Amino acid sequence: MAEPETSFSGQEGSLYSIRGLTKVYGEGPTAVHALRGIDLDLPRSSMVVLLGASGSGKSTFLNIVGGLDDATDGQVFFEGRELTALGPSELTEYRRNSVSFVFQFYNLVASLTARENVALITEIADDPMTPEEALALVGLEKRLDHFPSQLSGGEQQRVAIARAVAKRPKVMFCDEPTGALDSQTGVIVLDALDQVNRELGTTTLLITHNVVIAEMADRLLRFADGALVEDRNNPRRIAPSELKW
Amino acid sequence: MVSLPAWLGALDRKLLRDIWRLRSQAFAIALVIAAGIGMVVMSFGMIRSLEATRDAYYDRYRFSDIFASAKRFPERQIDEIRSINGVSIVEGRITSGATLDIPGISEPITTRIHSLPPGGMPRVNALVLRSGRMPDPNQPTEVLASEKFADAARIGLGDRIEALLYGKKQNLRVVGTVLSPEYIYAIGPGQIFPDNRRFGVLWMGEKHLAAALNSTNAFNEALIRLERGGNGQDVIDRIDTMLERYGGRGATLRSDQISDRFLENELAQLSSMTAILPPIFLGVAAFLINMVLSRLVESEREIIGLLNAFGYRNRTIMAHYAKLALVLSLPGLIMGMMLGNWMGRGLAGMYQEFFVFPFLTYRAGFDIFLISCLVAMAVVLLGAAQTVRKIGKLTAAEAMRPPVPPNYSGGFAKLIGKIRKLDEPTRIILRGLVRRPFRSMLGSFGIAAALGLYVTSAGSMDNVGLMTDLLFNQANRADVNVTFAEPRDERVLHELERLPGVMRVEPVRYVGATLSAGHLSRTESLTGMKPDGDLNRLVDIDGGLTQPPPRGLMISSILSKQLDVKPGDEINVEITDGRRPQLTMPVAGILKSPVGNPAYVDFERLGPIMREAPLSSGAYLSVDPDKADALYRRLKDMPIIAGFSQRAAALNGIEETVGETMGIVTLFNTGFAALIVFGVVYNNARISLAERARDLVSLRVLGYRRPEVSYILLGELALIVIAGLPLGAVFGYYLSKYLTASMSGDLFILPFALTAETVAMAILVVLLTAAVSALFVRSRLDRLDLVSVLKTRE
Repeated sequence: MAEPETSFSGQEGSLYSIRGLTKVYGEGPTAVHALRGIDLDLPRSSMVVLLGASGSGKSTFLNIVGGLDDATDGQVFFEGRELTALGPSELTEYRRNSVSFVFQFYNLVASLTARENVALITEIADDPMTPEEALALVGLEKRLDHFPSQLSGGEQQRVAIARAVAKRPKVMFCDEPTGALDSQTGVIVLDALDQVNRELGTTTLLITHNVVIAEMADRLLRFADGALVEDRNNPRRIAPSELKW
Repeated sequence: MVSLPAWLGALDRKLLRDIWRLRSQAFAIALVIAAGIGMVVMSFGMIRSLEATRDAYYDRYRFSDIFASAKRFPERQIDEIRSINGVSIVEGRITSGATLDIPGISEPITTRIHSLPPGGMPRVNALVLRSGRMPDPNQPTEVLASEKFADAARIGLGDRIEALLYGKKQNLRVVGTVLSPEYIYAIGPGQIFPDNRRFGVLWMGEKHLAAALNSTNAFNEALIRLERGGNGQDVIDRIDTMLERYGGRGATLRSDQISDRFLENELAQLSSMTAILPPIFLGVAAFLINMVLSRLVESEREIIGLLNAFGYRNRTIMAHYAKLALVLSLPGLIMGMMLGNWMGRGLAGMYQEFFVFPFLTYRAGFDIFLISCLVAMAVVLLGAAQTVRKIGKLTAAEAMRPPVPPNYSGGFAKLIGKIRKLDEPTRIILRGLVRRPFRSMLGSFGIAAALGLYVTSAGSMDNVGLMTDLLFNQANRADVNVTFAEPRDERVLHELERLPGVMRVEPVRYVGATLSAGHLSRTESLTGMKPDGDLNRLVDIDGGLTQPPPRGLMISSILSKQLDVKPGDEINVEITDGRRPQLTMPVAGILKSPVGNPAYVDFERLGPIMREAPLSSGAYLSVDPDKADALYRRLKDMPIIAGFSQRAAALNGIEETVGETMGIVTLFNTGFAALIVFGVVYNNARISLAERARDLVSLRVLGYRRPEVSYILLGELALIVIAGLPLGAVFGYYLSKYLTASMSGDLFILPFALTAETVAMAILVVLLTAAVSALFVRSRLDRLDLVSVLKTRE
């Protein structure tokens, strides 16, 4: 990856500063422009919801900012350090030490209990909570020794959230965390995310198709056709339990 | 994607594309099948080729059915033998030992000389003329030499060699080289491996040999061909009676002839190898097919449900997967047949080093290929059976539902949870193993099979090493071993002692004898040995030393079995030399002797038994190496010396031929063991990767480094491999022991000498192969797409 030509290192106080972020898949006439020059600054501790139809670019954005994919052009700065200039092993360290993920299909290890799934992450973290603390945070203190096959979908997703927060990450990326759940269970999961964001101050980027969910965020980013078409702050965050869909 | 022909049905198209997708795993399976089928084709083909060649050779060159020898019998006795009912052809001949002085070889060379009948070509044991011509009956010095000996000793056509024959120097000229059905396996007296440079056979005109031996109008051997259906034992009994007064030594059947016995022994060994090794490979292949197919079916549950829902019959779907397994094995089958044919040809070439045929063409034959095909198909279907049966039980609705998440709440998994000290990746590894105990166990068995195979193969080198050590360092410690043209009294020993470089001389006496107990009898020889001897000692297979007994006979364990006697039993001894005394002797002890069927008596006791002054048939010499050449020069001129062998040279000869051959065989078996390890490890790793890809990628996304994720994937494999090691060492130990025992017959007992070094080396080879195979898969781990896996439900 080329060295940045400018001395820009992000906006003062921002957790992320993103400039001209572009991602193109393929070449020539078949090239697909997944992101078309996104400029954005994200402050610490905010709850941000990313909205948009399939193929709008929100997942690509999350993958690049989360250190899973590289950009075709543009820069992403995390705490003043350029992520887009990092190599694969430095990105691994970034994911290991600074950020965390919650996936649509939970991605728990079936052969580990809830406690052990969380321990999987606490074992490699510098200053983690105990798995028991993390699971208590999402209300699963009584399900510590259950295997994924013994948990409901909502419980599994809450284990995934406990696993994500246990290492006290600066940022948590959630890709459709309620996509596989019914609304009632979805609310419980969102409640857990909301609680983590408020209590621990973890910056949370949440992808969803569901416009209603945007109401629980500080800020809403809407993607369409690879571009950021809407960026607005919510005057008031609504508690997940008050959301209706 | 390759475009497929339009006439191919949809399922067959799927099948071919599945195979293409699974190609690297299919290749690993193909290699294992190829090794198994290759061994089947090679071994069966080789057994058949050897038997067919031997039968044709024996038949075409009229190999003798019965061998009768005596001290000396008149020519007319041949006509009497011919008149025995059941005898077809009889030919008399003269056979003698001689030593040769060959330019370029310092030591005297032991040879056997046979007479050629007046017509030139023998009617029984006819010769294959390989180069040159038959000797001119009017030229007394012209001889034929065995081809391998001529090659090894660099004797060319027209070369002159000096022979010491019956005490007289003869200048002989080699005019032709030949092969004989009598010397397919040509070994000197007391040897078990051919040493073509130091043991040869010559043929010369009867008239001239008789003159040299002062034996005109008489023979000392009769070769008998039986009529079809002739009763060999009846003929032998009649001949023994006829030749008794001429110093008959007891006629023997072809099956007691040394070359035929070694050949027969080799065929038996080949058969026992064929019964053991290919099933190991084919068993591993069946396991691999089972593993790959069950994974495939697991990942295609929805497709199976869909096909079911669209109205495909269950048996059509089952047949589809069975067909897939069969097609999967096809490359292995074809490779195996080619490999078998190739190895068979190579093996035939190697056999020519030891077994000399005028022609030995390896030919497997259509039926062997057909049998291999059927065997391979059976193995594949066996491997596929369980999975295919499972498909038959799936209903459409069931199949289309995603599989139930694996349940880990069972006993062992819980137990692993209780071990607090374990880290989570290790817990994942252990729970993965206990969830599929059968698969894990079979994986370990596969590794054990590979290790066992290598141990067995490399262990045979240890066995031969100990065998040569027993024979050449423990038992026979003499630098030089001479045999006399005829038994001599002790003056010859003093004469030997005075030769240059001779430091010690120990006598030995051989007398021919028929030993019998009850209705069982064997024609052997009695060996008289000095009890305090240091140059030739009685050593058993475990290296233990014993002494010839002061009374009675010490017999080999093989002979004790043949005569069904134990210590204390009486043996009837009919001596066929000298005054032919008959007596009974007790079995004083049984010696587990590595070679042959010896019966030992105290040297000092043999004189009184024979009713003569103590005589020696030969002597063991300890020699100052600096003076060896001077000694050899003198020995070459001593009329009394009829046979000579030098320990160091014989040992070198064995190490060269046997070492090289076994080296090649071990190399092949190492390769085969590596194939099994590769097949098991690679397939296990690929399937493990397919099953765990989602977990592993999730962990990568969550910040796990590559080595940490590799640990989860390869740790399970490492445990499977490590669990296989002790199993394999035990399996190898017993397999090696069994094969060693099965290779021992009444010709020799192979000692079992597997060393810890060999097992350690085998473990190292298996670990290295496993590591390399695992690295192949690890590189795939690095290529996994972090983004795509996250969006999909398994």
